[in-house]
Amino acid sequence: MSSLSASSIHKTNELAVSIRNVGLTYTTAIDRRPTLKARVKALGRGGKQTRVVRALDDVSLDVEYGQVLGVIGTNGAGKSSLMRCVAGILPPSQGRIEVYGSVSTLLALGVGFNPSMSGRDNVYLGGLAAGMSREEIEKHFDEIADFSELGDAIDAPMRTYSSGMYARLAFSVAATVRPDILIIDEALSTGDAKFKEKSLNRVKELRSDDRALILVSHAMQTLRDTCNDVAWLHKGKLIQRGEPNQVIDAYQEFLHLGKSAAIDEDF
Amino acid sequence: MSTPLQVYEPFRAGLPKLGKYWKSLWFRRTFISEYSKSELREQHFDSVFGQLWLVLNPLLLSGVYFILIVIIGGTTDSSRYVHLTATLFLFYLVANSLTGGVKSITAGQRLILNTAFPRIMLPISAVVIAIFKFLPTLIVFLIIKVIVGSSFSFEMLWAIPVLMITIFLALGLAITISCINVYFRDIASFLPYLTRTLLYLSPILYEASALNPNLKALQVINPLFPILDSWSHALVHGEVPQTSSMLQGLAWATGIFFIGTYFFLSREREFAVRL
Repeated sequence: MSSLSASSIHKTNELAVSIRNVGLTYTTAIDRRPTLKARVKALGRGGKQTRVVRALDDVSLDVEYGQVLGVIGTNGAGKSSLMRCVAGILPPSQGRIEVYGSVSTLLALGVGFNPSMSGRDNVYLGGLAAGMSREEIEKHFDEIADFSELGDAIDAPMRTYSSGMYARLAFSVAATVRPDILIIDEALSTGDAKFKEKSLNRVKELRSDDRALILVSHAMQTLRDTCNDVAWLHKGKLIQRGEPNQVIDAYQEFLHLGKSAAIDEDF
Repeated sequence: MSTPLQVYEPFRAGLPKLGKYWKSLWFRRTFISEYSKSELREQHFDSVFGQLWLVLNPLLLSGVYFILIVIIGGTTDSSRYVHLTATLFLFYLVANSLTGGVKSITAGQRLILNTAFPRIMLPISAVVIAIFKFLPTLIVFLIIKVIVGSSFSFEMLWAIPVLMITIFLALGLAITISCINVYFRDIASFLPYLTRTLLYLSPILYEASALNPNLKALQVINPLFPILDSWSHALVHGEVPQTSSMLQGLAWATGIFFIGTYFFLSREREFAVRL
């Protein structure tokens, strides 16, 4: 939660994130909204109306500086939960996570944006939400505006934007933050094909020896191109981790056949 | 090997490191003000008519309550109207902090689920918004005071510490209620009844000195009572407020602030799971 400008120079292969035996269980209420009324009504019945969801199960993972780690898995595999744990948004239920650097997250686009304000105002709002300082945003404003290719539309209220324009501006703001550790969740597939390529190039630019990148994506070709390491999660467990092509091949085979040697061992 | 910057372990109810927390909160002070401004703009308070409404709304309210006083109390004394507007406007600072604060966490769901920041920022910005809404009414009050021909004096400056205590109390209340609302979402529906009750229990439609001695207990259990009384003493009557009232108000504010903040800070790491 400290300043996001790179705090110190990190050496390649120095530990960036250490995840040790992390488990995460949610206790979600069956009633969608927890209310006092429901609590009082439940008094007579005794026991809470809850369901336990195991999102992560004994996951251990190290990420080093200089690494670009891809995280793959089917929907509900626990990818986003793991990312939120590393970012400090969700506390793990078991285990321990150590983070050696400043973390910035790009888990959803346009967090902190206010649609009734202009694109220009939202650059500040979104940037501040992402942890940048006003001066940093001012310094990078032209760069952000250029990258988003919005032109004059930057001064129009954001509710007049198309969803592609919205996503483009959001990505441009997020890509300006220069943290030690950057976590990107599904945010690469924004805009049209041209912008997609452009944002992918930006991510490739961000790869450097003193930074760690974690990409969550379903775009396997992108991961093959960008990552030097891939982790595969399934139902909250780490199934396989290693050389991108190898892991992705195994994962794709699993998707195709619905089963895998690696998973069979675990279940 | 350097020491880890952040360590995340299983949630336990307990306070985070306060120095570090304060530092990260201070680091985000620009975000608090920008966030509050954007919320205000969403409610159209950046336009001429929006600002006019900001002034017109409390003015109309005070008019309505004055009619009530005239009909029930039978007084048409202009100083009563000055008292009514002064206290009503300050009351709305607290009431707006409560109504803004109650949903601040649940409405900030997207922000909470996707970024790590000190969550207490959200109820704080609800109070900042309430202060922004309060300031124009303070000017309106001073204009009313001039029109009515009420005198000005240096003793009126005592209103400044009273306002500080009020903001402190509003902050404590907003933090407390935003935290409660995460666990019991229907608190927001009870809130109108709560604020309405608080309005009638406070010396707004009547002067504190006019309260029936049998009902003195109301004075003790209502945090706003000593504060509004001091406010009226300073701003309306141009007198030095009673020290006991100011201290009582400060004690309430401090108590609520620290208890509420303790609950909030010890639970905020769990909010993301609860939303």
